[in-house]
Amino acid sequence: MRVPSWRALAAALASTLVLATPAVAHHEVLAKFDDTKPLTLTGVVTLVDWRNPHVHVFMNVRDPRGETANWAVELESPIELRRSGWSADTVKPGDRLAIEGLAARDGSRQAWGRTVTLAATGRRVLFTRNTAPAAPLHPRPTPRWPDGQPRLGPSAGGAQGYWAYPSATALVENSVSVAMDAYGLLRHIADAPRVAPLQPWAQALYIERQRRFLKDDPMFLHCKPPGGPRQFQQPYGVQFVEDRERRRIFVLIGSGNNNYRLIYTDGRGHAGQIGGDDDNPLYYGRSVARWEGETLVADTRGFNEDFWFTNGGLPHTEQLRLIERFSRPDFDTLKYEVTIEDPGAYTRPWSSGWTLRWVADEDMPRHVCQDNRP
Amino acid sequence: MRVLLLAALALTSVLPGRPALAQEGHPLKGSWLGTWSGNKTHGNDVVIVMNWDGTSITGVINPGTDNLAIKNASLNPDGWLVHLEADAKDKSGNPITYVIDGKIENLPLANRSIVGTWKTARESGPFTISRQ
Repeated sequence: MRVPSWRALAAALASTLVLATPAVAHHEVLAKFDDTKPLTLTGVVTLVDWRNPHVHVFMNVRDPRGETANWAVELESPIELRRSGWSADTVKPGDRLAIEGLAARDGSRQAWGRTVTLAATGRRVLFTRNTAPAAPLHPRPTPRWPDGQPRLGPSAGGAQGYWAYPSATALVENSVSVAMDAYGLLRHIADAPRVAPLQPWAQALYIERQRRFLKDDPMFLHCKPPGGPRQFQQPYGVQFVEDRERRRIFVLIGSGNNNYRLIYTDGRGHAGQIGGDDDNPLYYGRSVARWEGETLVADTRGFNEDFWFTNGGLPHTEQLRLIERFSRPDFDTLKYEVTIEDPGAYTRPWSSGWTLRWVADEDMPRHVCQDNRP
Repeated sequence: MRVLLLAALALTSVLPGRPALAQEGHPLKGSWLGTWSGNKTHGNDVVIVMNWDGTSITGVINPGTDNLAIKNASLNPDGWLVHLEADAKDKSGNPITYVIDGKIENLPLANRSIVGTWKTARESGPFTISRQ
């Protein structure tokens, strides 16, 4: 039997180390690329465009006829690539790369890069991770304010941290199980009626959006804010800043346009707020909240219809009202429960929920959405 | 009134281009502008404002000028077929009923269109409006 050379072994090892890119991209990958059309490209880098929301590597690729064309290879965000040890200099113009990925649906010279390997050395340079930090062996107690109220944000003493890694990334009615990807794209379109109690028009619109692979998502196309439950489905997390002096809570997001939501805990009601602002309903609505024991209960109304309130494209109308419950059963877990009342789009109120994990000792990443770079 | 409507349309046409406000809710909700060609009673140009309250579609044709209340409006999501009716009066003061049937085109776009036909007992023609 012939013993393979160390070079061959190294090449084989490199080829087995390539990993599928996890689903944390800025947009539904399948909206733009076709997972039934895998492709392999080998070429020379002409430009590395290291910008949000996605890094692009441009490379000259020679086709079988000997003609050279420039391709754009889309990769994960700079945040994801940095987390994987990739920097803006990891790949430079002149490098020869081998790309394995997906072809663009529109037939253009674009590809989604699942793996990137330096052809000269066989070194894999694309590696991304999207796994939640390991849970502590023993749950740590819920951090509290001096009066005993749970803290939703960092613990005292200037500790860093934020909430991320939601256990669900799309709204589905409690007790319903349907297969979908991280962007809420259904594996089986026939499951659409089970996701939520949709009115006929809303169900048809939801299916239409699904059939178009969520490519019309205004959050991705136009950087519209992820209002409603979608705020807690984002890959780069959320942060609560509790302004106890003014009795309000800021909810910041780690992506988008650096916008934020305010939850008032000063006892104010909705009267006067909604009525005074009928012509200017909001992406995040108007939230008032109170503590019920260990749970913050927020009542939010006044949403506009200019955005998708969940991954996956479930419709809503201006009649949307959310009752959200936030609790922190232990230091590292945020429990999010939401009841959706929208007689404009749904046949009855319904509920969903998930948990988020505490990411300790890190600032929330800032992933700025930029128009016209879908 | 017709002059006012035409003036408004002319003004709209010379204003700097501005994309339609997105509307990701009920597909009919919003302001629509277009033509019901051949309409000798109310002119070629038409403005329609529609709303959705969760159970019914309401609206007005040519608000501010003709103020024709929409009745019997429906949207069939199976094909996105639109049906609108509105009572009016012809130039002699006789009652007429407009019946508009069309289909939503470019559904995902904010400036989606409804394309179809309009008719009364005596007149009919093509109908096209786009969401503003």
